[in-house]
Amino acid sequence: MRIERRMAQHGEWWLLGLVALLGAMGMANLISATYSETGGWLSPVVQRQLVSLGLGVAALVAAMLIDYRRLERWAPVVYVAGLGLLAATLVLGRMTHGNQSWLVFGPVRLQPSEFAKLGLVVALARWFQRHPPGEIVRLRDLLQPGLITAGPVALIIMARDMGVALLTLLIAATYLPLVRIPLRAWLAVAGTAIAVLAAVWLFVLAPYQKSRILDVLDPGRDPLASGYQANQSRIAIGSGGLLGKGYLEGTQTQLRFLPTQHTDFIFSVLAEEWGLVGAATVLTLYGSLLIWGLVIARGSKDRLGSMLAVGIVGMLFWPAVVNVAMVLGLAPVIGVPLPLFSYGGSAMIASLAALGLLLNVSLRRYMF
Amino acid sequence: MTGLGPGGSSDPFFDQRLRVLGIVMIAVFALFLVRLFQLQVVEGEQHLQNSLRNSIRTIRLAAPRGEILDREGRVLATTRPAFDLDVVPSELRDASRTLDVLSVLLGAAPERLRGELGDPRGRARFQPVRLADDLGWESLARVESHRYALAGVLTEVRPRRTYPNGPLAAHLLGTIGEVRQEQLDQDNGRLAGYRAGDVVGQSGVEALLETQLRGRAGGRNVLVDVAGREVEVLDRIEPSAGGRAVLALDLDLQRTAEDALAASGAQGDSVAGAVVALDPRNGDVLALVSLPDFDPNAFSGGGVDPVTWRELMHDPARPLQDRALAGQYPPGSTWKPIVAAAALQEHVRTPSTTVFCPGYFSFGNRSYRCWRKEGHGTVDLHRAIMQSCDVYFYRAGLELGIDRLAQYASAFGLGQRTGIGLEGEKGGVVPSSAWKERRLGAEWLPGETVSASIGQGYDLVTPLQLAVAYAAIANGGDVVRPRLVLEIEGPTGARVPQPPEIVAHVPVDPEHLARVREGLRAVVETPGGTGGKGRVPGLAVAGKTGTAQVVKLEHTEGLKGNAIPWKYRDHAWFVSYAPADDPQIAVSVLVEHGGHGGSAAAPIAQKVLARWLEKHSAPAPVQSVAVQGPSDDDSSAAPPVDAAADPGEEHDAD
Repeated sequence: MRIERRMAQHGEWWLLGLVALLGAMGMANLISATYSETGGWLSPVVQRQLVSLGLGVAALVAAMLIDYRRLERWAPVVYVAGLGLLAATLVLGRMTHGNQSWLVFGPVRLQPSEFAKLGLVVALARWFQRHPPGEIVRLRDLLQPGLITAGPVALIIMARDMGVALLTLLIAATYLPLVRIPLRAWLAVAGTAIAVLAAVWLFVLAPYQKSRILDVLDPGRDPLASGYQANQSRIAIGSGGLLGKGYLEGTQTQLRFLPTQHTDFIFSVLAEEWGLVGAATVLTLYGSLLIWGLVIARGSKDRLGSMLAVGIVGMLFWPAVVNVAMVLGLAPVIGVPLPLFSYGGSAMIASLAALGLLLNVSLRRYMF
Repeated sequence: MTGLGPGGSSDPFFDQRLRVLGIVMIAVFALFLVRLFQLQVVEGEQHLQNSLRNSIRTIRLAAPRGEILDREGRVLATTRPAFDLDVVPSELRDASRTLDVLSVLLGAAPERLRGELGDPRGRARFQPVRLADDLGWESLARVESHRYALAGVLTEVRPRRTYPNGPLAAHLLGTIGEVRQEQLDQDNGRLAGYRAGDVVGQSGVEALLETQLRGRAGGRNVLVDVAGREVEVLDRIEPSAGGRAVLALDLDLQRTAEDALAASGAQGDSVAGAVVALDPRNGDVLALVSLPDFDPNAFSGGGVDPVTWRELMHDPARPLQDRALAGQYPPGSTWKPIVAAAALQEHVRTPSTTVFCPGYFSFGNRSYRCWRKEGHGTVDLHRAIMQSCDVYFYRAGLELGIDRLAQYASAFGLGQRTGIGLEGEKGGVVPSSAWKERRLGAEWLPGETVSASIGQGYDLVTPLQLAVAYAAIANGGDVVRPRLVLEIEGPTGARVPQPPEIVAHVPVDPEHLARVREGLRAVVETPGGTGGKGRVPGLAVAGKTGTAQVVKLEHTEGLKGNAIPWKYRDHAWFVSYAPADDPQIAVSVLVEHGGHGGSAAAPIAQKVLARWLEKHSAPAPVQSVAVQGPSDDDSSAAPPVDAAADPGEEHDAD
């Protein structure tokens, strides 16, 4: 027993080490993405990201040290706070990149949707703690978690951030495989989803958004306009080859052929400079982190911990999937950052806080 | 899913679903790895090439074109650095202020600069916009000294062709210009490696020596960023300069000839005409003048500006035409020495055969005038040449017949291109019965032989051809190819001399040519000769005047000199060589509508020969005893009474 506990505690250190390693890689990569002869290593972007990293580590430690079971009581507060932030952006938010998703307080710029996602996960985990997913057999039993999800999603759609809205839906959907609803019900859900997507295509999407989706189906469609980003990204990744062009040596990156390379296309920088070896390493580490999260979900003593772990895995999995698929030319260009790699303070802090919660669940599985 | 440590979940359904989630995630990441492999390994090379094409630009560096020098090493054409002024809109700190400063420095209206700059947007903001071509040194110095206040302003240097003597020898030197697409399309290999926009010699020596002068363009590969800004020079191949050409041309003679021809017109009149000076021994082209001229510098900026071009193209005086080799004129009396040589060689005449000239010649039912109404009396060959007696040559020509005449004229190089190598050279016309049959489908009329005997009718020659023909008379019968280039010095310093070339030898015995030369010397040196105005103190000159009729006589009948409308006036010829007994220079002069050869053309040749004598101190023995008043009246018009077959049209059309 004692030996096993020690092993388990070693396990937490390993997990922490994995997070630290990914964070360091992300920072090194961001330095390259924003490096310039004149500006040197410490570009303003890197400086801000370092501050965010510091705040994120603090959030991680805080999220690890409190007893996550207190969230049973505090989850609604977290959730409602997230909704409040989202609503505030609609009122106060600055228009940037075509959507209202920023809150600006002097030098601090918040992207509340990142925190709202964490709030949503906490709220859903609490709901599934009270309603064991293994006992849910009817679709209508999912009405409540559906409504919980709909709150932030609706506000994000109102801020016209379709990418994040989709992402939030996908994170919530991570819980669906856990409920005991028969196949034919899922088919009904799928049919409804297709109908909704068709309606969105026909009535909601702007032409430029449609054209981004079409670019995935046919990348050569419009290489200089909407397809430019995807094309340059493919060239960057492909030209990296097996071993890459070397750190700070990527021509696509250093000569700024890559679009938004420090945010949405950060993975292209990595793949260009470190090649298949580097990109595969990062993906493997990232995948290991996710699987580890599932193991923690399985090992948790209470359902709240399990549900939190599943939600956090979803929070890390879906943005990575959407981002990397986009960067690799497998999905439309949607402005979704890659957690721990893309520039973005709110996402960094929220991700590290979520990972802190995951460690928290892992640490506390023997404590009762 | 393998449990980690104790306390595994007791719910098998939950475990199973977690396992499904894990498998899905692993599958997605595996798919990504496959895609990465596809992009980076399978298609890697192609993407790498694309990334290089993205970021590497090859910028051509033009080779400085080789110099062209005259025979004494004076620069006729060279290449100097030209500075252009560019502005990169994205780097302007205060566009409006910068343009104001530039307008002061360049002396240009700010509105014009603003118009040139326009309002570039997007990526165009990073591309330089040219605001001024070829800044003068002063403007350049002003811009450079205000550098600190002119962020975003660049000066670019490029080689620019320049002709320090301006229009002097413009036709001979020629012009450069951007190669045209149709030139590339029709090219037979000479322009291999040229791209649209490259500069190429378009005429004159510039075109003739294109391959030797052009050099080899270099280039540099530069890394550019997404805006096209140069970030780093990867490698650089220096352009290698073109070879340098030393021409046979003598700048002094060229200038003298050009000035003399230009000054020959009445006050304010622009002169049209040509002067050719050859060395009869080797064909060296010592001077090649055509007026009116143009400034080849106007073409060297990569293209002539449209206004200048339109002016040059539509100028009725056709300044771009090189009259020395593309102007075709009736030779008039300058033709007579050829007839004389033929008559002697064919034994139609001996030097002592005499003919009585009553002032006219009756043939068929027509009467052909001699230019001297009162007649020359009894003339032999010597006097016939000296005084340019038409009747003597009417008869000689008739007895020779047009075809024998044509044969000799062709042997002297008339009626065909000399092979000087310059573009646009015309062949002229030496008529024969076969020629008329072929060209006009009509039989040759004996009366036409009469006109042809004194260089009227269908005869057309260029000033260059006559210079070659007289050089052959002077040098004992060698028809030389006019030599423009003495040697070409390659970029490595290797000199390639261009040997002189004798194209043919005339089938005339030396003693017959000697008789003709005596007559030609008398034209200038003996009192009573028609070319007395070609006399140079200290130099024995031989030559022949000619006055080529442009229109039927009835247009000008009864009018004297300046009363005749300019375009109806005769062309004036004077072809000469010197020293008479050791010819080293042959000079052919044509003044369009200049009137009489003896008075209009001979003084021009005289100045050229005098200049030549100045430069060559080896004096020729002078034999002129006394210089008396010149009797240069000479007119070769041979008007038949009825105009059925007379040379009634202007023949100097090209």
